[in-house]
Amino acid sequence: MSELEFLSTDRTRTGGGFEPVFRSPLADALAAAGPDVRDLSALGKVEVRGDVEGFDGLASAERIPLTPGRTLFLCAPEETARLREALADPSRTVVDVTGALAGLELRGERLLRRLTDLDLDGLPAVGAVARVTTIVLRTGEEFRLFFPQEYARSMAEVVLDAAAGL
Amino acid sequence: MRLPPRPQERIDRSRELTFFFEGEPRHGFPGDTVGSALFASGRRVFSRSFKYHRPRGLLCCSGQCPNCLMQVDGVPNVRVCTMPLREGARVRGQNVLGSLDRDVMSVVDKIGGPFTPVGFYYRTMIRPRRAWPLYERFLRNVAGLGKIDRGAGRTRRFDTEHRRVEVLVIGGGRAGIEAARAAAARGEQVVLVDEGLGPGERAAGGSFEVIAPARALGIYEGGLVPVDAGQVLIRFRARRIVVATGAIEQPLVFPGNDLVGVMLPGAVRRLTDEWSLRPGSRAVVIGADERALSVVAELRSAGTEIARVVDLRAESPRRIAAEGKKGRLASVLVDGEGLDCDLLVMSGGRQPAYSLLAQAGARIEYDAGRGVFVPIELPASVEAVGAVAGELPSGATPAATYEGGGKARGKCFVCVCEDVTTKDVRRAIAEGFDSIELAKRYTTVTMGPCQGRLCQLPSVRLYARENGTDEAAIGRTTARPPWAPVSLGLLAGRGHEPARRTSIHERHVQLGARMMWTGAWRRVHSYGDPAGEVRAVHEAVGAIDVSTLGKILVSGPDAAAFLERLYPNRFGDLRPGRIRYSVLGTDAGRIMDDGTIARLDDDRFYVTTTSTGADVVSEWLEWWNAVWGMGVEVVNLTGALAAVNVAGPRARELLGRLTDLDVSNESFSYLDAKQAHVAGVPCLLLRIGFVGELGYELHCSSPYGEYLWSTLLERGADLGLRPFGLEAQRVLRLEKQHILVGQDTDSESNALEAGMPWVVKFDKDEFVGKWALEHVRERGLRERLVGFEMTGWTVPPEGGQIVVDGRPAGRVTSARWSGELRRAIGLAWVPAALAEEDAELAIRVDGRLEQARVRLRPFLDPDGERLRS
Ligand code: FES
Repeated sequence: MSELEFLSTDRTRTGGGFEPVFRSPLADALAAAGPDVRDLSALGKVEVRGDVEGFDGLASAERIPLTPGRTLFLCAPEETARLREALADPSRTVVDVTGALAGLELRGERLLRRLTDLDLDGLPAVGAVARVTTIVLRTGEEFRLFFPQEYARSMAEVVLDAAAGL
Repeated sequence: MRLPPRPQERIDRSRELTFFFEGEPRHGFPGDTVGSALFASGRRVFSRSFKYHRPRGLLCCSGQCPNCLMQVDGVPNVRVCTMPLREGARVRGQNVLGSLDRDVMSVVDKIGGPFTPVGFYYRTMIRPRRAWPLYERFLRNVAGLGKIDRGAGRTRRFDTEHRRVEVLVIGGGRAGIEAARAAAARGEQVVLVDEGLGPGERAAGGSFEVIAPARALGIYEGGLVPVDAGQVLIRFRARRIVVATGAIEQPLVFPGNDLVGVMLPGAVRRLTDEWSLRPGSRAVVIGADERALSVVAELRSAGTEIARVVDLRAESPRRIAAEGKKGRLASVLVDGEGLDCDLLVMSGGRQPAYSLLAQAGARIEYDAGRGVFVPIELPASVEAVGAVAGELPSGATPAATYEGGGKARGKCFVCVCEDVTTKDVRRAIAEGFDSIELAKRYTTVTMGPCQGRLCQLPSVRLYARENGTDEAAIGRTTARPPWAPVSLGLLAGRGHEPARRTSIHERHVQLGARMMWTGAWRRVHSYGDPAGEVRAVHEAVGAIDVSTLGKILVSGPDAAAFLERLYPNRFGDLRPGRIRYSVLGTDAGRIMDDGTIARLDDDRFYVTTTSTGADVVSEWLEWWNAVWGMGVEVVNLTGALAAVNVAGPRARELLGRLTDLDVSNESFSYLDAKQAHVAGVPCLLLRIGFVGELGYELHCSSPYGEYLWSTLLERGADLGLRPFGLEAQRVLRLEKQHILVGQDTDSESNALEAGMPWVVKFDKDEFVGKWALEHVRERGLRERLVGFEMTGWTVPPEGGQIVVDGRPAGRVTSARWSGELRRAIGLAWVPAALAEEDAELAIRVDGRLEQARVRLRPFLDPDGERLRS
């Protein structure tokens, strides 16, 4: 039991009459959402505890420092395995959190102001969005939220409701 | 009723708006408020007072007083003098029985005086005691202001918005606008909020944002300023706060000072300038400063005849009284001189509106020279500008009260919100309420809708005079948020409750599941037939979504030693691929959680916890890790993984169809943990048996939970597979006497008394809570958690009493009907002496005593043969 395969989302096998289906936690909740809301849950997400200072293994992966000792890497779904391998090092704990975190992309500062009291000019940051602990990233007017997948429907409900109130 | 067009008017006469007052159509113009349009239509009585139901009219016309509260479009307590007029608005009077003009309740004013003195509800209506429900209903009906529409539900939408600004300016008068302009010119990001409608125009051309009408409700720690912007509560966090709330004109205290037609100068100014209305035809003006007296010119220009002007700086009348007919002003008496008039403009000077500053921590002191309270020391990052900072023209200090003299015996109000008269205040002082803070609570002065704006200073003046001291010695009452009345809906916001749902949730809903809360989780109670679900697990196979279980990965070379030191059970000798159960204890030896721990390899353990315990246990582990400095990694995987428990005699057969793993009993035995693909999905398989039958827990990455679940249901259908919910699980585990932490245990329970001495390894060097459990062992067990079965058919209530010798001696923690055993069974805490097989218990059920017998071993499969088979 060296690798903990059951933690990863990219180790399924098709065959023998089985065809595993990856289903985003937001799939049902966002069914009726407009184009301003995008589901990012399928992105590869790897959390690293330990030093990543000198790491330059996968250039295309986005690096988000969470705390001094914890970093989140984001990458395209198909690159997740490569990223995990590149990060593997006895000095670090590498956890694939692709399945743990749901991701949501939203537009507009006004909407975000209705959801969180985080300083939107001081992102990225981790804080409560709709009362759920969330990693918030910003590019211009575009915001990306990553939060525990079990809150996906709750979050989607609040986000869509807040958008309707604008 | 309108004057000819005037230079500063706000109304647009080219268009007419129609609204309804008590169902009758009325007209106004854009730019009107509901109040100004009603005034234009001839209405003078706007409300009935709180206690005496006296008619009241426009007093301040600027949203400070209680006199114009009405119901607009179903919303009670709207200040119509500042509420912009809308086409079709439906306006009604409130706090009346009958109509505003004929209010039956106004008898209270005539006869109620002696019966409803201040604090009457503490003294009257308390006897006879039996009559209290009647009194209560009556008081509830007459108390409070306005009626809430109970059928309204969430018809109005309220949102909350969070904003960060460099500079927040509160108040859009001249000083506020100047401060905002200056800050903006320095390149700072500025937002200005104001209660009125005007600042938008005054701020024109400034490079800052204006939000109006909007009320700042308070200043809290960290520069937090909640602002009521109607439908949105804006929570500002400002680096610097500029308070420019101005000063508030103070009423004079004399008999009849609440009559309809008695106004503050600001009201006169707004009525004439902004809405081109004539406030009255003949007026008396009594003022203590220039600003108040300057309304004379405005009145003249509006065609009002001036009967008399009393400049309090030049003369000091001893007696002032107003007299009315049917609540409306008819004449004024000044030192015996009678003057017929329908308008009395009064002003006792202007009091800086310091409340927000005081909340922020400013020191407020009485300035004897000017006769008002002024802010002295301001906290860092809070600034005061303009009138609120004490920049006021000098004026006279009026008398605390003016006697009416002669036959003028009208009521003399200190507080119009709560109908408190000078007599009430004197009475409170006579009763010993001589401190202003106590008197406030007793008389409720300053506690009404104006929040002290119009009554704080007059009441302090009166207190000083009655106590023979000065205002500085009396001091002021504490300023607390909210500074203005605010709707509870606005504070509550949208009311979303964050809920955790498993990745299989939608399928449960499709299957018609009844959901329930366990902590923040939504879980399946049942799929409609709990008894059938139980039977399926006993006879064929069932599947339950257990994704809510806490799942924590503990890794590192010290992982085994760490768990060994933390849990009472032994983990150092657990072989990789094996599972062991334990409770988790606090340092006081109490049970905080329980679960199974699987050793994945030498350095990695997979710890499961109860559904509601995951976060607490995870923090507990991290805390001890830090305390001991053991360098173990603790990763909470609860949400990352879905989990399904497949249980029942045919579980193996089903699993065999889905995996290449050898699932025979020999190679995959009870308490084994293995990794394998199930239906193509990598899983961690744990062979455990919480529900008492052969069972496997399948843990996989959350996004595949739904697929795995659906596949299990599909491939197990011909084996008789049924999904089951928590209710079935509760019955099943009870048949095995497996405890539920939190249900069968509480914060006092320990593993020894809970009947699990085997999880406590006293021969270990150390573990958290060891000394406490040793103490329990030495002192002996006092109570025990035991199983019981009822002799009759009744299922006792959970929480039901165990009775020994007529006294309560224990309690039932779980009880269910077991279809399999055809008996009611349960778990109960009983005195240790009764913890013997077959001991008889008496349980109170609906007042009767029912008999039960103690069972110390599992009711079903006591030797675990089914589990191990
Ligand atoms: S008259 Fe409207 S609040 Fe005073």
